[in-house]
Amino acid sequence: MEVKYLDLQAQFENNPALKSILDNIFSSCQFVLGPELEVFEYNFAKLCGVPYAVGVDNGTNALFLALKVSGVQKEHEVITAPNSFLATAGAIVQAGAFPRMVDVTEDYNIDPDKIERAINRKTRAIVPVHLTGNPARMDEINNIAQRHDLAVIEDACQAIDASIGNAKTGSLGDLGAFSLHPLKNLNTCGDGGMITTKSRKYYDELLLMRNHGLMNRNEAKFFAYNYRLDTLKAAVANMQIEGISAITDIRNKHANCYDEGLRGIPEVTIPERRVGVRRAFHTYVIQVERRDELIEYLRKNGVETKIHYPIPIHLMEASRRFGYKKGDFPVAERQSERIISLPIHQHLRTDQIDHVIESIRSFEKL
Amino acid sequence: MTPSQAPDIKVPYSYLKEQFDDPEPILNAFRDQLERCDFTFGRELVEFEQKMAKYAGAKYAAGTSSGTMALTMLLRAVGVGPGDEVITVSQTFVATIGAIASIYARPFFVDVTDDYTMNPNLIEQAITEKTRAIMPVHYSGQPAQMEKIMEIADRHKLPVIEDACCAISAKINGKHVGTFGKGGAFSVHPLKNLNVWGDGGFIITDDKEVYDRIILLRNHGLKNRDEVELYGYNARLDTIQAIVGNYLYDQIDDITNKRIANAKNYDSGLSAPELSQFITLPPRRTGERHVYHMYMFLAEHRDTLLNYLIHREIEAKIHYPIPMHLQQASLEQTVPFGKTDLSRTEEQCKQIITLPVHQHLSKEQINYVITSIKEFYGNKLWK
Repeated sequence: MEVKYLDLQAQFENNPALKSILDNIFSSCQFVLGPELEVFEYNFAKLCGVPYAVGVDNGTNALFLALKVSGVQKEHEVITAPNSFLATAGAIVQAGAFPRMVDVTEDYNIDPDKIERAINRKTRAIVPVHLTGNPARMDEINNIAQRHDLAVIEDACQAIDASIGNAKTGSLGDLGAFSLHPLKNLNTCGDGGMITTKSRKYYDELLLMRNHGLMNRNEAKFFAYNYRLDTLKAAVANMQIEGISAITDIRNKHANCYDEGLRGIPEVTIPERRVGVRRAFHTYVIQVERRDELIEYLRKNGVETKIHYPIPIHLMEASRRFGYKKGDFPVAERQSERIISLPIHQHLRTDQIDHVIESIRSFEKL
Repeated sequence: MTPSQAPDIKVPYSYLKEQFDDPEPILNAFRDQLERCDFTFGRELVEFEQKMAKYAGAKYAAGTSSGTMALTMLLRAVGVGPGDEVITVSQTFVATIGAIASIYARPFFVDVTDDYTMNPNLIEQAITEKTRAIMPVHYSGQPAQMEKIMEIADRHKLPVIEDACCAISAKINGKHVGTFGKGGAFSVHPLKNLNVWGDGGFIITDDKEVYDRIILLRNHGLKNRDEVELYGYNARLDTIQAIVGNYLYDQIDDITNKRIANAKNYDSGLSAPELSQFITLPPRRTGERHVYHMYMFLAEHRDTLLNYLIHREIEAKIHYPIPMHLQQASLEQTVPFGKTDLSRTEEQCKQIITLPVHQHLSKEQINYVITSIKEFYGNKLWK
């Protein structure tokens, strides 16, 4: 049986909604900052329970602009986790700041207990990453941030439609950054991203920042960027926003199946759950001892898996100038050798999930 | 100004609805791609890059998320960094300066000549110990004076980045712009001569090192899925936009030639002796292929002429009334940007006007524009 990690074809092929969206766009030909973008921004803000959302060209630049608008610049430090996709650190570096890493806990998210000792007079912001679609411990993080007057920017690039209590990701900090990349739970037909905020001031500024700093056609308030979200991509994402909650439910249901099936295998660590938290499984990550062997075994059994990610950010060549070394973040480092992401997308069938579970079980017996 | 009767002919600046009147062939190509769903770095992107490199006569081309990011990454690829100075012009779109500012470098503005592009004779006085690059702009599709610029740049061992965002297909003695310096940046924004259905751009270069650097920079600095060599950007050109670019590729020459023909008609109409005291056309140099992304000239009583043309349903524009060094963004810099005397740039911004010149205009529409301008000046309608 073949179990693909991802099935975009099932999502996009022969989709009648796609045709009517394109027809609409061609009736106005407003490919840049067109009306469909505003509609999507409105719907996205509503989904996240915030007054404002701004479409940008990708999740990396969503983070970058969120950092910039909250005042992060050269000489500043930003606290984040070392086990994210490297774009988290990339956005901090693009803003001219130093990525100050803090180790994670068993939930793969930043350890709030270790944040305070990483704060110094240069620290300006905290970027908790809701890795795998699991919200970071925002109450504790927000308390620390408030005490030290730091901005909190949620890296929600993997965490659309997750929540703590009634509050959705994207509404849990000062700003939230999302990705609409084709591999994300809410995706579009190319790169895309969103920023959420409750602040009118940030919102107004972000509208300028993504569009060259232009206040109108002729006048630039400051020099900035071209980080717009194409109308076309906003419309494709908007087509799917109504279904996102159903997608999350299916992915979470798959996760429950995995949990049930894998619980009790001594060598397998299944994801932690917290009471009152709605996860939105973007990746389903387990830890095992003989990771690389298992990947190979699953591959032979038709199961495609991934590692998110095998090399922590602080140990990458690009990070050398920051002076980190092996051993600095032991939890994240150990996880990077043990983690494996199983297929969890919404087009999986139950028998496929059973096949994955059975394959892992039979591997562990070997 | 006396409003004449309602016009029976319209001359819109925008033409996208006509251009994409039948999007079906492109949408069919989308459907092919949907079977593969390779939305980032799909095979159509590679095809687009090969086509553009070949078209411009460059060794390498790389798609980018916009013309702005093409400029930004070229600057970084040639080693421009925080605090460095880049010699450029103030007579440009804001993105030229945005690209420089985004990497914490600083523009040094030099004045332009009558063709609205960089005055090569002013470059040397703008060079300081911090100068790291020269960035001429092929503004409006008019090639800058690259031979002179390259001669000075070579003497001072400074890399040249060409802002060719308006200038696909522009050439000097048969050599495509973007191939004179270390690299050229192009935009395929919907309003450009070669356009896609959203933001997009690409770079061209003959320099393997610059190319390799751009390939890293546009994709997070990733050497492979898991390893990062340097911190970069997410500045990729979407596969679907490359599909649109590939489809229009075969039309670039036709589109450009039509614009050039339209401009020739304007030139001859506006060279009428009765207009000579009101209108100054830029010089047309032989051996240069100006591709008329914009058809611009200097006009007396510019603002009233603009209003008159708009009243006549001729969608004229001003690119742009405020030069970059007089933008709030420049004036509020804590350390002022460097500049030579910029009086010609400032004078031009007060008089410059752009007429619709796109490939979907008819001869009749162009004649109507010319007649309207003659009527405006002949009847002294600015009074």
